[in-house]
Amino acid sequence: MTAKMPAEGKGLKTESLTIGYEKDLIADICLAVEPGKVVTLIGPNGSGKSTLLKTITGRIKDRGGVIFLDGKDKSGMTGRDVASKLSVVMTDNVKPELMTCREVVETGRYPYTGLFGRLSESDSRIVSDAMALTETLPLSDELFTRISDGQRQRVLLARSVCQEPDVLVLDEPTSYLDIRYKIDILQKIRRLTGERGVAVLMSLHEPELAMKLSDTVVAIGEGQILRVGTPREVFDEAFIRRLYALGDKPIDLLMHAPWFTSGENVPAKATGDKPEASRPGGFARGVIMVQGTMSGAGKSVLAAGLCRIFKQDGYRVAPFKSQNMALNSFVTEDGLEMGRAQVMQAECCGIAPSVYMNPILLKPTDDCGSQVIVNGRPIGNMPAKEYFAYKTGLIPEIRKAYDTLRGQADIIVVEGAGSPAEINLKENDIVNMGLAALIDAPVLLVGDIDRGGVFAQLLGTLDLLEEDERSRVVGLIVNKFRGDGKLLETGIRMLEEKSGCRVAGVVPYFRLHLDDEDSLSERFDTKERKSFDIAVIRLPHISNFTDFDVFEQFSDVSVRYVETERDLCKPDAIILPGTKNTTGDLRWLKETGLGTVLSKEAEAGTVLIGICGGYQMLGRLVSDPKGLEGGGSEEGLGLLPVDTVLEEEKTRKQVTGLVQAAEGVLAGLTGLPYTGYEIHMGHSDPFDAAAPFTEGGTGYSKGNVYGTYVHGFFDKKEIAAGFTDLIAKARGKKADTDGATDYEAYKEMQYDRLADILRQSLDMPRIYRMMGMTDDKR
Amino acid sequence: MNKTRCAAVIGLTVILLAVIVYLNMLTGSVGLSAREVMAILTGEAADEMSRNIILSIRLPRILAALILGGALALSGYLLQTFFGNPIVGPFVLGISAGAKLTVALTLIVFVSHGVQMGAMSLVAAAFVGAMISMGFVLLFSVRVRSMGILVVCGIMISYICSAITDLTVTFAADSDIVNLHNWSLGSFSGMSLDDVYVMAVLTLICVIATCLLAKPIGVYRLGEAYAKSVGVNILLLRILLILISGMLAACVTAFAGPISFVGIAVPHLVKNLTKTTAPVIMIPGCFLMGSLVTLFADGIARSIFAPTEVSISSVTAVLLVPVVIAVMLGRRREGHT
Repeated sequence: MTAKMPAEGKGLKTESLTIGYEKDLIADICLAVEPGKVVTLIGPNGSGKSTLLKTITGRIKDRGGVIFLDGKDKSGMTGRDVASKLSVVMTDNVKPELMTCREVVETGRYPYTGLFGRLSESDSRIVSDAMALTETLPLSDELFTRISDGQRQRVLLARSVCQEPDVLVLDEPTSYLDIRYKIDILQKIRRLTGERGVAVLMSLHEPELAMKLSDTVVAIGEGQILRVGTPREVFDEAFIRRLYALGDKPIDLLMHAPWFTSGENVPAKATGDKPEASRPGGFARGVIMVQGTMSGAGKSVLAAGLCRIFKQDGYRVAPFKSQNMALNSFVTEDGLEMGRAQVMQAECCGIAPSVYMNPILLKPTDDCGSQVIVNGRPIGNMPAKEYFAYKTGLIPEIRKAYDTLRGQADIIVVEGAGSPAEINLKENDIVNMGLAALIDAPVLLVGDIDRGGVFAQLLGTLDLLEEDERSRVVGLIVNKFRGDGKLLETGIRMLEEKSGCRVAGVVPYFRLHLDDEDSLSERFDTKERKSFDIAVIRLPHISNFTDFDVFEQFSDVSVRYVETERDLCKPDAIILPGTKNTTGDLRWLKETGLGTVLSKEAEAGTVLIGICGGYQMLGRLVSDPKGLEGGGSEEGLGLLPVDTVLEEEKTRKQVTGLVQAAEGVLAGLTGLPYTGYEIHMGHSDPFDAAAPFTEGGTGYSKGNVYGTYVHGFFDKKEIAAGFTDLIAKARGKKADTDGATDYEAYKEMQYDRLADILRQSLDMPRIYRMMGMTDDKR
Repeated sequence: MNKTRCAAVIGLTVILLAVIVYLNMLTGSVGLSAREVMAILTGEAADEMSRNIILSIRLPRILAALILGGALALSGYLLQTFFGNPIVGPFVLGISAGAKLTVALTLIVFVSHGVQMGAMSLVAAAFVGAMISMGFVLLFSVRVRSMGILVVCGIMISYICSAITDLTVTFAADSDIVNLHNWSLGSFSGMSLDDVYVMAVLTLICVIATCLLAKPIGVYRLGEAYAKSVGVNILLLRILLILISGMLAACVTAFAGPISFVGIAVPHLVKNLTKTTAPVIMIPGCFLMGSLVTLFADGIARSIFAPTEVSISSVTAVLLVPVVIAVMLGRRREGHT
């Protein structure tokens, strides 16, 4: 990492060194210290400086990699060989009993003396020279335990000097020392490198000393080597603030240090129009991460809106979320699965969705387990605990996915998951702050004022973050605000004062029809009945419920999610949606009595349409010979003459086709084109005469009961409008479907509206600056 | 390190030692004059009885006290250096308890089966027991990093051995364990010149080994980390130190029974007198001082209530406990914990 040095050269060099105690602390350290040079490690307490030095000196075992001393692999050298090349000054407070300073210094000759350790005349001269160099000769006969800290440090330096090392390692040689001794000891170190060509590696707590003294500075923090370079390259205020997690802290108690460039100290309670320079920048360029104080704070939608804004401003944008937990997956053109939220965001970016936008997808199968899908492909079911242990192994996948997107876009909008302050799950985090650190992203933190306690949400979350994590939060967002903005102003000011973090915007509550992220969707709560009423049965394992969002554009149509017989209330049409667990939900359906009610409704002539899993339930039998959903078979509702067999092979494909010769009320749809996708395990075959509904045996109908495997069947405006019109006519109702748009076009409109709302409420120029960019690309 | 001071301390110890040897030669239940003793020692004729007293009783006893006292002190010095713990002595690591256990077992098993016990077999039994205890400590020392825990291991071994000994004694006839009681009081009485040869050889080996380790021991004073950084093989040093100090302590226990406090107190005494911890002074210093103190204690033990002999441990305790306490208080003043 530092200046190149051939392996046979003098000095110290590490290759892919991994350090740590029980687990890896920092991996893959490559650094080199050349003769006559001073390399200084800086970084916060606990960052691993001492661990690195102790590993190099052999006090603790390395966890991989090689250390070269004068070009030789240190692990193959004897203790004496090592000692004649490398000496150390440690921070340990040594208290040798009744040992004079000279005796202490003499121990440095250990590798050179004979069996009994007798010092020859030349040994004695070397000892005296070393003591002269460090100006400790007058202390020779003093007891080591009775001299001052500063003297002791110089004696220890003399000790390591008379060991005649090529490489000198010092762990915080200036701690406990007053400034005179600090200057003294550093001067001595400089002289050693200058006069004797010793290669010096040390750690220092004072950035300004490191800046003055070092040839190369290595900054360690956040579990890695953050920067290596000349002091000029490494030291800038933003970086030092980040390295030591200073955040906005005022530094006026420090001397005017050379790295302190902003000219004046920043009060911690800065509000108003302070210059942007007061914020620590120094994050990776062209990336912004949106994290929320809780699930459903509005991260997905805000991220989507940002995607659309950046796209409108002429940038190439891509969304990213390392891990999604949702039943509601989407299948890409390649037949791969990913979370729908990133699909929506990709649509906002105007690009095709790719599994790299969501490399890990977890689909809950029961209360404590999930199907794990990596880069679109299921790799198996895992209990939550097992996954928790497994997931760090997925970091390379995440990295790869992110880097791939990085290569294709100017800006990446990253979404977190849940809350970053789940302190029980924080270890090995790969979705929130862990991911932010991995990709070095600044973070916008979103709180939900609609659910109450937004100030506590934001401040509490910040409070639970580690210092370094906190310093990543560059802006707060209050989301879903209803009412008069003036009333919020004092609160916002206090929030900024207390948090030391600027509020980047207050976003009003709005209702747009967007694909929501997961089953927490507000859609389920809609109870309103309009003149044309569609009831969707809310199965316990419901999936892919965006199939019905297209109806939201019709002002006369309501789509209600129904869980009980009582809530059903004679709808105009009933939809049985897709499910992750057909047999389980089928049992649920029968047990709640909804099954019987559906049969009755069908008999009465109400249009009943099943999609995918719902379609399977409408048949006579669902059998599970491979035990995919627990085995056995389950009798269906028997409304369609088909039998379903669940198979291991998963069908995943995008489809287009024409509606076949449908029966009943929807006969009028016949010949209309549809688009959509199939994603299911198993197949359903008719055992009796049945009218095909969709192409290729993917759906059949009987009377007013219809079934199809095609998700998104209603997305085309002709189908959506036709469906509504035909049923309305049959029931003697009127439903206004004029101006129907395809679901695609409808969504585009929604996205643009979303962008408009956010532009009005967010401080976009500031958000651009956080990413190290400007908004004047247009 | 003040060389004059060290030389003075060692010189004075040697002179005192000579004086005490001389006094011990003279004192006893049979009164002999200084001239008679000199005559016997230089081989000039004297009566058979007096010769016997000097050469077979007093001389072996004095030599044993010299050798074993020195061994004890040296053993204590090595352990204290290594453990960095001022109250560690050779018996803290369970060595005497192990020896006592095997002695008890041997006595009870053999005596109750009517086998006559020679003195030498008791010595062998004690030695074996001491070495077994030490073996366990050695085993732990390879695995345990912390010195403190190693001391605790030793104490635990000690307790286990004592428990088994007590159990054995509970079920033994009183007559069988009289010897055990006598042994556990510790005494230099009844030494023969043959015994002295054996202990001299064992001790000499250990002393030579210690001298060879003087260099790493000297660096070890700066702590394990620095010792390692100059190339000391810490694990090997650890094993050798426990081995040597264990051998020394086993030797003492086997021949003279457990003798308390010499191992703990003498190194402190030497350190405080010479004002240095350099091995080149400490090794001879401790040995000589150990000899001196032990011989002095033995002299008191057998003459203070003559003709009844007092247990040597009682004497060493009374003599040395004040020293240990004074040293501890002094250390606190010096800023050690």
